[in-house]
Formats: sequence, structure tokens, C-alpha cells
Amino acid sequence: MHINPLDISSPATELNFSGKNVLIVDDYMEMRSILRDMLSSCGAEMKKIHMATNGNEAIAWLKKVPFDIVLCDLILGSGKNGQQVLEEAKYQSLVGPSCLWLMITAEKTMEAVTGTAEYQPDAYLLKPVTEASLRSRLAKIWTKKEAFAEIYKAMKQQDYSKAMFLCDQRLASDKAHTADLLRTKCDLLLVSGEYDRAKQVLEDILAVRDLPWAKAALAKILLKKNDLDAAKHLLEETTEANPAYLEAQDLLAHTLQVMGDLEEAGNVLERTVKLSPNSVTRQKNLGQVAMKLGKLEDAERAFRKSVSLGENSVLRTADAYLGLAKACSANKNAEQALKVLGQLNKNFAADEVRTKALAVEGLIHHQSGNTEKAKQIAEELGQSISNDSIHPDSDGALEIARLLLTTGDKEKAIQLLQSEIKNNPESATLLRDVAEIFDQAGMGEEGSRLIETSRQEAMLIMNRGVLLISKGQYEEAVSAMRDAYSAMPANIRVLLNLAYVIITYMQKKGPTPELVEEARHSLQAANELSPGEPRFVRLSAALNELTTLR
Amino acid sequence: MANFLVSSVHDMKNSVSMLICGLDKVLTSVEAAELSTHAELVQMNHEAKRINNRLIQLLTLYKLGQKIYPFDPQSVCLDDFLRTTVAQYAQLLKFRQIHLEVRVDPGLYWYFDEDLISGVIGNALNNAMRHTHDHILISAEAHEGGLVLRVEDDGDGYPPELLQGDGNVMQSVDFHGGSTGLGLYFSAMVARMHRNQGVQGDLCLENGGSLQGACFVLHLP
Repeated sequence: MHINPLDISSPATELNFSGKNVLIVDDYMEMRSILRDMLSSCGAEMKKIHMATNGNEAIAWLKKVPFDIVLCDLILGSGKNGQQVLEEAKYQSLVGPSCLWLMITAEKTMEAVTGTAEYQPDAYLLKPVTEASLRSRLAKIWTKKEAFAEIYKAMKQQDYSKAMFLCDQRLASDKAHTADLLRTKCDLLLVSGEYDRAKQVLEDILAVRDLPWAKAALAKILLKKNDLDAAKHLLEETTEANPAYLEAQDLLAHTLQVMGDLEEAGNVLERTVKLSPNSVTRQKNLGQVAMKLGKLEDAERAFRKSVSLGENSVLRTADAYLGLAKACSANKNAEQALKVLGQLNKNFAADEVRTKALAVEGLIHHQSGNTEKAKQIAEELGQSISNDSIHPDSDGALEIARLLLTTGDKEKAIQLLQSEIKNNPESATLLRDVAEIFDQAGMGEEGSRLIETSRQEAMLIMNRGVLLISKGQYEEAVSAMRDAYSAMPANIRVLLNLAYVIITYMQKKGPTPELVEEARHSLQAANELSPGEPRFVRLSAALNELTTLR
Repeated sequence: MANFLVSSVHDMKNSVSMLICGLDKVLTSVEAAELSTHAELVQMNHEAKRINNRLIQLLTLYKLGQKIYPFDPQSVCLDDFLRTTVAQYAQLLKFRQIHLEVRVDPGLYWYFDEDLISGVIGNALNNAMRHTHDHILISAEAHEGGLVLRVEDDGDGYPPELLQGDGNVMQSVDFHGGSTGLGLYFSAMVARMHRNQGVQGDLCLENGGSLQGACFVLHLP
């Protein structure tokens, strides 16, 4: 064995700060000056160190200067906290992957372990921050950034096979980053839809060490393969052994929801919210589950929390406002409900959101006894749908259908629900939601029949093109998928299959600009509905290959 | 009551953090010879860090009890890890003229919660500094599929009471040379939290070893 007797007074790591811009964000003046002095003695240039006392000042600086290093306290007094500053900075691309972000906290938080990867800082630095700890942390992250620079670049260009190649290359020699490289490799295999290879890598890892992230990743694969029981079992085991691993808890709640076990999903979310109460998304999810369970007060509380947490956050969602409005209305407080919708309209401008809000408004009026007003809104929405002037998303369509059923326009409601089923015939959650809407309208049996026929019809049309292609009937395949597309324009499988048959056709008969455009349009529509699907990535690559050949 | 205790500990931790930062700043800004109270300041800084470590241990134990501690094992380079942990004590070691030797293979990596184990090693080092003559050895090596971390000194060794009870540190925690037992209790808890493939970490106290004094031995799976 090599022995390395350490000389503890050895000179500290050399850091190269030349030309680097630094931002310090802290509400305490003393802390700011302590941090500045430390950075300066680490080698940073005084005139390149900028300071902000709160979240808004920090964002203003980030918009002005491309920072290489940000030291940010997690707690910043009133207004945005450090996490929200980071989220906004990443969301608005004010900082890129090369920027080094250190979050300073008094103690290790739950989020430090399993916050959303996208919005994680590079590291959390625990107080008291000493020059030695700062120095060694900066050095460590800089080496990691260097090791991953090329890989991240390839990932950004969605060139996953190149990223994978670079990962493998590094894995062969870079022992310091083995753990991170393996994890990135698994992520890459997952996004490119190579589930079997990903599973193999994960199983090899797990044979040596119980790693919660690897178990969660394995569960994700099981979910993709629709093996819900196995996913649930694995996630229960993981959360039992690592209750603090929130990502697994969230995944478990999601799995239970897909399985239709709302009661248990609610329990898991309750438990997780106790561990980490400040997640905008998790509180919203809890509200939605509680609402479906008829726990109206719990729902209102969770939605309210999500809305208030989202106040300073770019991660706030319209769904939390809508949920809160519905919960208030169900709790017999129409006035409050309408007020929430007012806030929603102030904060969100997207057409789909406005449409959904209008449908919910109609329902609120109906619940409070103002049937006249409810009917008027229902007619307005029905009209707009008929003349194709609004395009609600899936949730919005369900809200509108709910309103139409309550106000008596059964025919239009059924039409709307049928088209939703055809667009998502494989989503158990959606089918259940539709069934519930029928149930509430007292047409349970008729509803079940409608759901089943629409679903079967959709499945048949969806796969017809692929079947024809496998028989070599290319023209027929394309025309079958075009028909399917006009019948189910928001069905992701149809969109991807349409692109697939066109691309296969062009591979045989050569590309034309019109067909390339049609395939691209179809792919883009699919990616808008569900971003980053592995099939989208693969088909896009195939399409690019076709067009660059010429 | 528990809430008051917890929030007070938080509050104290913030104050102590500021105190440590301030003292560090003073100590790095002057040469020892130029300041007559330099020795006292080094000692004060050390005591402030001890308070901070104790507060962290209390908070951690509280969170472990409530099952809300964010346990976070990561792949750690032992060479870096021990270098960073030990660096916090460099000044005091120099001041007390204690020779500290660290033995570790630079290519050794292991999975553990860095913050927790750093607290455990810091605690053991603190104890060793109190009881040693002038020599401390810290070592890390992989052995039979586990990691063995040892902190050894050339002092008089642990008193017999501490070594009784089949090495069960939880039971034998008592008042050892003015210690409250918190550090050992904390260390044993932390050791046990580390599990892999059905194997649990543990803590052993022994006398003897290569320096013929106390040996604090942590096994991690």
C-alpha cells in the first residue's frame, strides 16, 4: 500500500482567480466583508468582487455581469431566499453551467441532499466558513467542472452518444469523479431511452453499494416499463432505509397515484412535506391529491402554502392558484375563490391558463348558486371551442367538460372528453379523471362505455401506420398516420409515429423539403407535449442525418 | 421546550460562527511574535470551535431522533478529507507542539456522510490532543471490504470503565476526564447510521496500537 504521510502545514491549494468575477450575496454586512477578505486572500481581485444585500440586488447584478463565482447565503431576510435567487438565475440563464455557485447555510438542510438537480448549487458550505474550507471547496468544484466541461457541452447539444463516449473515456482514468460520472452515464442512458443498458449499469452499481439514487433510477425504469408493482416495492424499500431521500419519496407518491392508490399517495406526500415543507411543487401535488380524496381543508392548506411559497419563485405554477380557488369554492367561500382567480390572472398571461381559469370561474359561480353566470361562461367557452378559437391543454379541456356537464351541455362535454381520451389513451391517470367526471355527472355507466370505445379506437388508429410500415407499405403508412393525426392532434404517440413513418419513408425513397418539414413539425409538437422523450431524441437525430446527407 | 432548545442552539451557533470567523481573521492577520496574547487567542479560537462542534452534535442528534437528518453518503477521497479535517487543528497542534501524522493511500475513496464523519474524527482528535504526550496518528485503510479509520495517541489510554461492556460505547458512555460522553455517543450513533448490504458501521475503543496509547477505531461498511 502507498502511504502518504500528510504534512498538515503544506501550502494550500493554488486557485487561479485571474479575470474572474465574483458575487457575494448576504444580508449581514459583517459576513459580506469577512467573505470578501477570504476570497481576496484566496487570490480574487478586489475590484472584481461585487456584493448584494438581498435577492433583488443579486438578480440585478447577475443581469449585468457574467459571474464566475457566486457565494450566496441561503437566508436573506425578507424577499427572495438564496435558493430562489439561484432558481431565477438558472431559469433566466443568467448563470451557465460553468458558473460556480456556493450556497452558505447554518446547517445541512434536507434540500441540500435531494433538491431538484436542475436547481442545485454546486455545493453547500456550512457555517462557520473558514478560509481553508472555502479554498478546498473551490478547488474541488473547479476540478469537477473541468472534468465535466466537454460532457455538459455535448449534453447541451443533445448529442447524447458523444456525451456517453466522453463519460466512458473519463471513467477509465478519472478515479476522483467515478461516482459522478457513473451517475451522469445512467442519466444519459435514461434520456436516450436505453433502459436495458441503464438497468445493467445500475444493477452493477447496486451489487457493490446501496445507493439511493441508483435505486430511484432503477424505479424510474420500472415505471417507464409500466411495471408499477416492482417500482412501488423498490421505492418503499428505498424510502424506508433513507427517509431523507426526498426524490424517492416523490417518486413513490407518483407511482401510487398512477396505480390509483390516492390514499397512500397522500400519506407519502404528507410525510415528505413534513420533512421538507418548502417545495412549491410538492405542496401543489399534495393539494391535488387531497382534493381528489375530498379532504378539502387539507387541500386548501397545501395549495395556499404552494401559492405563498411561489410568491418570490420562478417555479410557481398556475395549477396551485387554480387548486386553491377550487378548494376555497368547495369550502363554500366563493368570494375568496374568485379573488384567487384574480391573482392568477394577474400573474399568468398564457392563453391556456386563462381558459382553464375561466372554466373554473364558471364552476365557482355554479357552486355558489349563480347558475345564470355559470351558464353564460359555459356557453362562451363552448362557442370558442366549436369555432376553434381556443386550444385548452389537457387539464383545461377536463375543466371545461366538467363545467359543460354541470350546466347541461352534455353533448359538447362528451365530445371534448372523447377527444381527450383519444389524445391520451394510455394515461391511466387521465382515464380515471374522465371516469370521475362522468361519475359526478351521474352518468357512470354510460361514461365507462364511452371511455372504453374511444380508447380502443385510438389504440387501433395509433399503431396502424407502424404496422403498415413493417409490411413495407410506405405510402399507405404515411397516409394512415396523417389520418390519425387529424383525428388525434395532441396524441404524443401519434405525433411520434407520424414522424417515424415519414422518416422511414424518406430513408427509402429520399427526402423532400415538404416531408422533412412535416416530420419536424410533428416532432416539435410531440416535444412540446412531453419534452425530452427518448423517441423524440432518436427521431430528431435520424431526421438530421437525412437532411445533412444532401 | 424542545423548540426553545433547538432555536436557542441555532442562535448560539450563529454567534459562535461569527466569533470563530473574527478570531480566525485576527489570528491570520498578525504574526505570533507580534501579539503578546497570541497564545490565548489560539486557545480561545479552539474553545469556540469546540463549542460549535458540540452544538452541531446536539442539533444532529436531535434531528436523528426526529428522523429528519439529511443523511448524505457520498464518494469521498480520504486523502483530501483527512487533510481538510485536520487543517482546522493545525494551529493548535503547532502551538502545543504535538506531532500529528496522517497515513492514507492517496487513491483511497469511500462512501460516507462527510459532515458526520468529519465531526467524529474532529471529536476523536480533540480527545487525543487532551490526553497525548506529543504524538498522534490518524490512519485510514480499506480492510476486508470495509474502511478502518483510526485515531491513536501516545497517552495513558482509555480508563478501564470505558473499555468494558463488550466495546458497546453507548453503554459505557460516562464521565471520562470531564467529558460529558456526548462525543462518544454521537460517534457511535454516526457509525451505526452507515450501512451497506446489510452491514452496519461501528466504533471500538482500544488501548495499545502503534503508539501504545488510546485507539479510537471507526469501521465503516
